[in-house]
Amino acid sequence: MADHKHPTSHEEHLREQHLMLDPMPRGKMNEMVMESMHTTSWKFWLVFGLLAAFVAYALFYKWGVMILEGLGVAGVNRPSYWGIFLVNTVFWIGISHAGTFISAILRVFRAEFRRPFTRAAELMTTFGLVQAGFSIFMHMGRVWLSYWLMPIPNQRQLWPNFHSPLSWDLLAITTYLLSSTMYLFLPLIPDLAMARDRTPDGTWQKTFYRILALGFRGTEGEWTHLRNALNIFAFAIIPVMFSVHTIVSWDFAMATRPGWSSTIFGPYFVIGALHSGMGAVVMVLAVVRGTMKNMKYFIRPEHFEAIGKLMLIISMGWAYFFFNDYIVQWYGGDKWTKELLHWHEAGPMGWMWFAMLICNVAIPWAILWNKKWRSTPWLLFIVGLLINVGMWFERYIIVPISLTINRMPFTWRLYQPGIEVWLGIGTVAFFILLYMAASKLIPLIPVWEVQEGQMAHSLKKYGRETVVTVSELE
Amino acid sequence: MAEEKSLLAVFSDIDPAADAIEQLRLLGVHDDCMNVISGIPVTEAMLGRPSQWTNVPRLALGGAIAGFFVGVFLSFITPNMYTIKVGGQPFTPVPPAVIVLFEMTMLGMLLSTFLGVFLDSLFPNYRPMHYVPEISDGKIAILIECPPPDVQKITDVLKKLGAESVKEAEAQHL
Repeated sequence: MADHKHPTSHEEHLREQHLMLDPMPRGKMNEMVMESMHTTSWKFWLVFGLLAAFVAYALFYKWGVMILEGLGVAGVNRPSYWGIFLVNTVFWIGISHAGTFISAILRVFRAEFRRPFTRAAELMTTFGLVQAGFSIFMHMGRVWLSYWLMPIPNQRQLWPNFHSPLSWDLLAITTYLLSSTMYLFLPLIPDLAMARDRTPDGTWQKTFYRILALGFRGTEGEWTHLRNALNIFAFAIIPVMFSVHTIVSWDFAMATRPGWSSTIFGPYFVIGALHSGMGAVVMVLAVVRGTMKNMKYFIRPEHFEAIGKLMLIISMGWAYFFFNDYIVQWYGGDKWTKELLHWHEAGPMGWMWFAMLICNVAIPWAILWNKKWRSTPWLLFIVGLLINVGMWFERYIIVPISLTINRMPFTWRLYQPGIEVWLGIGTVAFFILLYMAASKLIPLIPVWEVQEGQMAHSLKKYGRETVVTVSELE
Repeated sequence: MAEEKSLLAVFSDIDPAADAIEQLRLLGVHDDCMNVISGIPVTEAMLGRPSQWTNVPRLALGGAIAGFFVGVFLSFITPNMYTIKVGGQPFTPVPPAVIVLFEMTMLGMLLSTFLGVFLDSLFPNYRPMHYVPEISDGKIAILIECPPPDVQKITDVLKKLGAESVKEAEAQHL
């Protein structure tokens, strides 16, 4: 074998492939990350400005119009009272699952490939939940009364009923938003300290990093407290993540409606969330790698390859749960459920049902089985995009399309969205805008975690073969 | 008693830093008079240092218990304070309460874990501190408290063991 004859070239190949085997001095890595934050082309500002203007119009202005005019300007009406607002709420909570999955689950299982992009994924969690929150508030209509949801002692006999899945939603989403923001911030502290140390005095950035770094120096005590906290977070946030999307699924499954009343909706929603979340992560990574300076060193084809494998497994899992949900309802023989299932496939929105299956199953399976293809960033970007389109369709089918068919045929009417289309696209633009702003303010690469991983990896020779070994440092 | 001096020795790697700690101990510097500052989490075992005490797990447990009782209060007590009678429904059913209890317990645990890091690390701390920015570039620093007569002796030993610099530590704004 060529590799056996030329061990050095094999080692070089391994180093080229794996970030963990290709260490650089820490100072150099810090410099690269800071440079990636500070190198901004006019194209960035152009896109940023256009997005900001679009967000101002599509999200805030249109929302203002809806507040002034009332929910009548939206398409939600009998029988589809939950339109795109709820589709987007479920969609964004799904996107938010990627951060926890990558950062917490892969951390618990010590999947080393996670290291350079945990923060990129965690940011998605926080920003995704912000969009989910926006979508819920929009759906409320009279958003200034949203505090009525809170258990605040009052005189109006409006104490929240904790038997209601909507109250569970409030608790679960609040818990998840707070937890994921804290989980984003804690491992960021050492990198903020790094940014503080490398930023010239007298600039607003220095003040910004100084305040956020909290005085972190990296003493033994500080690292011990941080390590313990991160371990607790990694284990505890996983059930919180599962609970959030399970509870979101119960908003539907607890109702005795055709198509919704399903015992499998909890795990079906969770796997769907992971499906769209992982798709969004590869999209973000492909853009970050392609547009930000020095990112090709940190984010390599090996990372796309590893995420691609996860996406394939999750796609199979989604297909399993989808079919499980489908066949039980189909076999049950309930008149209205059969009517609904037929409506899904052969109704005026049947194209969406087939597009969902093509995007969520056929395309990922056709592409992700191949190692070369799933290591190609632009191809993974397209697959991620299509999965997200497919998952958005899935939520659209579950919410307004399924609401069309109920036990009162005289109310059947296809949902026609109104202003909420603008608002929905506005949340997408706002998510991208927040991400772009964050990429210029905080180090997207957790440099200390990368260095820790590089310390743990080495090459070892067994006979004629050079293999990668990983030490347990923690 | 003369005031103790603070020395800051900077090393480029873990091995010489670990050797230096061992040597300092032989010179009579107590573990409590040393502190290692690093840009990555170097474990105590790697440096031959005693385990660090942390309250974070205890605070997390305390927060979980507190959160659980907040959940009990919301699920079982407040329905009696602000009554909403819904025909045919039990007043304080257990299955929905499990969800509230779970969320509040987890929220309590994670909030107290987060605050635990702040409490144990005395964050935020914007006072002047002993530090050199090279630490976040991968260097390892040992901060040593020693009596003034020992300064020269310790400096010589640390330099001999590979310290890149050994100087009197000055507190500075980070």
